[in-house]
Amino acid sequence: MNDTVGPVFAALADGTRRQVVQTLATGHRATATSLAAELPMSRQAVAKHLTALRRAELVRSSRRGRETVYELEPGALTEAASWIAAVGGEWDERLERLGRLVD
Amino acid sequence: MTKVEREITVAAPPEDVWRVLADDALRRDWLQAEVEPEEVEEGRRLEFSWDRDGVGESRVEFTVDAVAEGSRVRVVETALAPAGDWGTRLSALGSASALALA
Repeated sequence: MNDTVGPVFAALADGTRRQVVQTLATGHRATATSLAAELPMSRQAVAKHLTALRRAELVRSSRRGRETVYELEPGALTEAASWIAAVGGEWDERLERLGRLVD
Repeated sequence: MTKVEREITVAAPPEDVWRVLADDALRRDWLQAEVEPEEVEEGRRLEFSWDRDGVGESRVEFTVDAVAEGSRVRVVETALAPAGDWGTRLSALGSASALALA
């Protein structure tokens, strides 16, 4: 796994962060407060996930007045990297379920 | 070629893991998908192809090996067709996660 895909994968391995990215992918720009209104989680939880996504360079932030606005980083995910991140995240969940099934 | 490789070690004998992979009903419950095994090496290796919304067509290969702790399960998924746009893919992931929680 190369340096670009590693952090992207780690960021998307979490189901909640995928939800945040999914919401940003459809809703263009958002603040932690507006995302918290759309998702079943607190503003603090959203802010924490946004920080992780920003570190992975999946989202970028800018200041608008007193608010921080987030949007998806354009081109952060190439086709291949996003496929790897999505499919890898699914297998992490499935293998964990397999472990529980046979334990 | 775009592919994903994952490995897990479970504290169960390879026979128990193999049962989940090879038994149609158990495999369906686990993967939450209906797939047709195409190549099978009894007790050790199983391959199938599937085509999921937003992810595209791909080939999956499982290998099960006995290790000191129990079994090591290795999965390799290789993309066969170009994936869809990434918003669609995330929607597909969202519904997969919802199913997993149901």
